[in-house]
Amino acid sequence: MTKSGLAIVGIAEVPTRRDPERQRWDILLDVCMGAIRDAGIDKNLIGAVISNNPMAQPSMQNDMSLGKIPEVMGLKGCRDIAICNAGGASTTNCLRLAEQHIASGQVDYVLIPHTTVQSDMPPQDLINFFATAPLDKQFEYPYGVSFNGSMGLITQRYMYETGATEEELASVTVALRAWGALDPLSIFYGKTVTLDDVMNSRMISTPLKAKECNLLADGGGAMVVTSWEKARELGDKAVYKLGHGTRFMSATPMLREDVFHRQAYRESSRDALCQARLSIHDMDLRQIYGAYPYTQCSALEGYGVCEDGQGAKLWAEGRCGPGGDLPCTTMGDATGRGHTGSGVSMAFYLDSVRQLRGEAGDRQVDQCEHAILTTSGGSVMNTCTTVFGRKPR
Amino acid sequence: MSDYKKPLPEIQPYSQPFWDGTKKGLLLIQHCNACDANIFYPRRDCPECWSQDLGWIKASGRATVYTYSVTYEGVEQKFVEDLPIILAWIDLPEGIRMHTNLVECQPEDVAIGMEVEVVFRSITEDITLPFFRPV
Repeated sequence: MTKSGLAIVGIAEVPTRRDPERQRWDILLDVCMGAIRDAGIDKNLIGAVISNNPMAQPSMQNDMSLGKIPEVMGLKGCRDIAICNAGGASTTNCLRLAEQHIASGQVDYVLIPHTTVQSDMPPQDLINFFATAPLDKQFEYPYGVSFNGSMGLITQRYMYETGATEEELASVTVALRAWGALDPLSIFYGKTVTLDDVMNSRMISTPLKAKECNLLADGGGAMVVTSWEKARELGDKAVYKLGHGTRFMSATPMLREDVFHRQAYRESSRDALCQARLSIHDMDLRQIYGAYPYTQCSALEGYGVCEDGQGAKLWAEGRCGPGGDLPCTTMGDATGRGHTGSGVSMAFYLDSVRQLRGEAGDRQVDQCEHAILTTSGGSVMNTCTTVFGRKPR
Repeated sequence: MSDYKKPLPEIQPYSQPFWDGTKKGLLLIQHCNACDANIFYPRRDCPECWSQDLGWIKASGRATVYTYSVTYEGVEQKFVEDLPIILAWIDLPEGIRMHTNLVECQPEDVAIGMEVEVVFRSITEDITLPFFRPV
């Protein structure tokens, strides 16, 4: 019997920190067991484990790809195992694969875990990894480009085309850090920044300053997903996937005609909203994983929340941060929470679940019924947009 | 043995003519003889029509700055001595966009839309990288 619809019914996450004492497998077991307990199901009901591929964590990649999780945890009902790697967007692909398993009717519950520890790796190795992973080794890498440099190039052009100022873009980071400061799971919990703090931080790659770039950190999270039918049996904790759309642009940033991914945000959100039979104006929360401030602006333009070029103004006016009328990215994005590699997308899904359940504490969005979420992988090679709701439609 | 420590371009068989060109002071762009597309970066097959009938055309060497970013920190150790590095994407009249460094100028002299021209720098016996400088 085939089943329709995916629901997230259990979540767990460890705080994002830099703590080399915290072991990868300890994080993994804590979040996997936590998510299964949160779902309130027996461990042996997990029918598949679809892992988010942790970037730059080769030994974990092997363990997670080759079946260690169900073996170590004694998941006796596990029938299948896989790992998904689409960079930062990997969690989205895990969900899509899980959805297939569940729709087939052969598996009821799928566990989707992630773990990453970067604090025990030499900074130069991480710079090297993030410089080479998404960039062209022949025509970009020999020129000293870093991930920050690549995103600096796009940000400079965004300012040129839209007239957005450095202060307006800095206000994005102020708001993201304000969300992070309210979130016990953020590495910046309790640590707000002012516009001056951002503007006066060290210049890294113009126009991006140190506080607008990502702090690499450790973290982990997991979720349990099931069918809408099974989710209804588990009660109020379920959050329902209502629609989804994706667009791929290019692996190499310089080859991207849609340089701010505005069109990709537009088309992927249109697909997701159409499938959900909702409009962008029905969304109570917009969660954007772009890892750099301009994406928080161009996504709002692509979604149709504002005109093209006006996104930065919404942030500067305080409308997207805590207390604003258009709450965006309560998860804080990588700049407001710490960058855990492909784990950022996991944290985005988990935060959206918390918001829709009404469990987001001081960051709780009022009457959060519907949320739209976009993740991206590589150097924003794609936009993967999903609409979630408190109820199935 | 060269003492050049920075990463060298990972050359592929079908991009070798590009690097043979830079060594001779020529900026060559891959061209599809079947569909007339100009292709960058070089591929084995034309990404438009999959033809393997690919040749090379000589670029004028002039370009326009599409965007730039001045990097002050956060690069691998081997690039630190070059800081600040002016990264740029430049648009060639042949319809392609390249990543490069702007040289022979100061960060404050750079602007989007600025006209630039290619300048070749030999970094090892075998490899010459194309850079661009203000016209």
